[in-house]
Amino acid sequence: MTDILRTINLSKWFRKTVALDHLNMVVPEHSVYAFVGPNGAGKTTTIKILMNACQASEGVAQVFGHDSRKLCPDDFAEIGYVSENQQMPEWMTVECFMNYLRPFYPRWDVARAEELLQQFELPHDRKIRNLSQGMRMKAALASSLAYRPRLIVLDEPFTGLDALVRDELIGGVLECAEGATILISSHDLSDVESFASHIGYLDHGRLQFSEEMKSLAERFREIEVTPANPLQSPASLPMAWLSAEQSAAVVRFVDSQFDQERTVAEVHRLFGKTDQISVNPMPLRAIFVTLAKAGRKAG
Amino acid sequence: MRQALHIFKKDVRHLWLELAVAITVVAAFGFTGARRASWLADPVTNRTAAWTMVLILLPLSWWTVIARVIHGETLPGDRQFWITRPYSWKSLLGAKALFVLAFINLPMFLADIAIVRAYGLHPLGAELPGLLWSQVLLTIVFVLPVAALSALTGGFVQLILAILAPCVIGLAVAIALPEVVLGGFWGGSEWIRAYYVFLVISLAAPVIVVWQYSTRRTAAARFLAVAAAMLAVLGIAPIPWSAAFKIQSWFSKRSVEQSLAHVDFDSSGSWLTRVVMERGDRVRVELPLNVTPLPSGMSAKPEGFSVQLEAPDGAKWHSDQVLVRDPSDMGQEFSLSATVDGAFYKKVKDQPIRVRGSLYLTIFGNRRTARVPLGDQLVPVPRVGVCAASGRANRQSYFLGCSSAFRFPAVLVSYRFIQSTSEGNEDVWTSAEPRPISYSPFPAEPGIIPVSQDFTFSIPRVSSSEARVDTVEPLAYIQRNFEIDNLRLGDFQRDATPVSP
Repeated sequence: MTDILRTINLSKWFRKTVALDHLNMVVPEHSVYAFVGPNGAGKTTTIKILMNACQASEGVAQVFGHDSRKLCPDDFAEIGYVSENQQMPEWMTVECFMNYLRPFYPRWDVARAEELLQQFELPHDRKIRNLSQGMRMKAALASSLAYRPRLIVLDEPFTGLDALVRDELIGGVLECAEGATILISSHDLSDVESFASHIGYLDHGRLQFSEEMKSLAERFREIEVTPANPLQSPASLPMAWLSAEQSAAVVRFVDSQFDQERTVAEVHRLFGKTDQISVNPMPLRAIFVTLAKAGRKAG
Repeated sequence: MRQALHIFKKDVRHLWLELAVAITVVAAFGFTGARRASWLADPVTNRTAAWTMVLILLPLSWWTVIARVIHGETLPGDRQFWITRPYSWKSLLGAKALFVLAFINLPMFLADIAIVRAYGLHPLGAELPGLLWSQVLLTIVFVLPVAALSALTGGFVQLILAILAPCVIGLAVAIALPEVVLGGFWGGSEWIRAYYVFLVISLAAPVIVVWQYSTRRTAAARFLAVAAAMLAVLGIAPIPWSAAFKIQSWFSKRSVEQSLAHVDFDSSGSWLTRVVMERGDRVRVELPLNVTPLPSGMSAKPEGFSVQLEAPDGAKWHSDQVLVRDPSDMGQEFSLSATVDGAFYKKVKDQPIRVRGSLYLTIFGNRRTARVPLGDQLVPVPRVGVCAASGRANRQSYFLGCSSAFRFPAVLVSYRFIQSTSEGNEDVWTSAEPRPISYSPFPAEPGIIPVSQDFTFSIPRVSSSEARVDTVEPLAYIQRNFEIDNLRLGDFQRDATPVSP
């Protein structure tokens, strides 16, 4: 698997505000990479730098192995980019927009474009300015999938959309993106957890982790410990144990580096004899919330 | 090229309404301008209100079209759909340039041809250089600045602010420090100041536009625009008029030997020397100067001078280059008039001082005369264009009008009405001093109207049979130094007003 997108020590600051702080991220080819993080984490900035829409303050962003600052029209002919706040040519009708874009792409598939318009139920003769937010996103997506791009970049594509439209868009992307690499950013994990193969979590401009979804789910566990002697609580807990809280008899925490043997041994070392240790797998949303809280605390 | 044409067609479809308005205004300009050619014969055609309206609407319609077409693919910002599409910046820029050429330059080119032809001139013959150069000036004055500002702004409101902000700042500086912004008047060499600004625009604006289209580094491009604007407005201020005159001298058509046109104190007219006390502790010193000898058929016009007064004790007073504003001084004798500081005058007035100075002169010559018979027919007049003369039925008044394409002629023009008698020709009326001219070597002046006209009326005592147009051309722009020794200024004090102690 080669890397389609890569950032190396990518930093961006706006005056004194640090938007990205030495970001190192890799998006492997053919992956569906969910780029998640709270609002203002720096996701859109990262994507804009990757798309050469804005300049990095420091570091390098690479697309298809090229410096993103040197992306040429031939590179963009392989990229489908859709963003929630993209400015579209409002005066064009949907059909005019598709026809206008067609000569820009050597691999534009007229039949596929028509299929996409049908699939998304887009009215050909309606002006873009008269489309709803959902329809606009569909139009943008249709115009970005009609030429079978190698890379699809979706920046918060589901913001403000109802669940039905969101599912339609996801369906459309997955159906048409066979063999493509997808980078999709979202502040809401539930938008992407069902179909992402990889996930990167960005907070305060720093990448907290980036890995395959499968390994992430295996790595996080919610642990509940009932010490035999509740009064004997340790002075400090390992860094990998997040969101620790203690009630009268029970200590709860999330282990972000779970390993059955190592975690149990560590619990015994810190709490001594225990009455019970329960280990529970976590849904992705709970992992996300835990990380967000831990990040805020650290920040 | 294919992509540029594709974008061009899209812009035409999008901006059809703006284009329709702009082309209608240019058509109205061509039609009204051509009709005005015959306004003296048919006053109905002199639609001044419509003409004024067209002249106001024309640049406004151009600027709207330029701004709209460039803002069709806005350059500043990071949310535009096109920046992540396979646009080639060269194609995009090419499409916009083609749009401006097709819908601003070409219609104006055709309208200019129509108007100039209507005046009896030949836009595709003798006037072709002027026609082409006027297109260059149109692009520099009306297209490039707005194109550059549009490339730096994200919309119409931003563009208006970008235009207004420097205007307000410039106005404030002009009020506070008028000499910095406006500088002095450079007379016939004023075109150098204008061309300096054109040079800055024609260098900076394309750089800004190309830089924006190729990199979209708006902050850097805006900084460049501000620097260029400051350079255009303030850069010329420190340049003395004498430097402009030196540039002007490069365009001399004939070299004048140093022995010719020697400038000296006119001792025979020393009685013309005057020292006049003025208000505000200032003293006006007038010195008669003589230029000699000039070959036959040549005359000299003083453009400016610099002068230094030196007292025996080493005290000095220096006047920078001052332009002679009165263009009527033609011939061999001039009166140099310099304003001297009152304190200095008081100190040296009874001492024999030395006056050193330089006089800057334009040498005119190569006189030509063209006959224009009465009768309203257009007569080609070399160096001028075409002229027509007419007399009223009762022969009480005469009229002479001349039209020139793209600029007022670069020669001094004077007019005469002649009566032919059996003994020869007799001038029955001669025009006053010729109108001041620009010494610009270029075949067109900046502006929208492609024809400049000059008229003269006369009510001679006796009837005329024809008019004549006399022209003399500037041959050389020269500097001559002079020195006057042992001048006691106090001897020439004419005004009794005492200098305040």
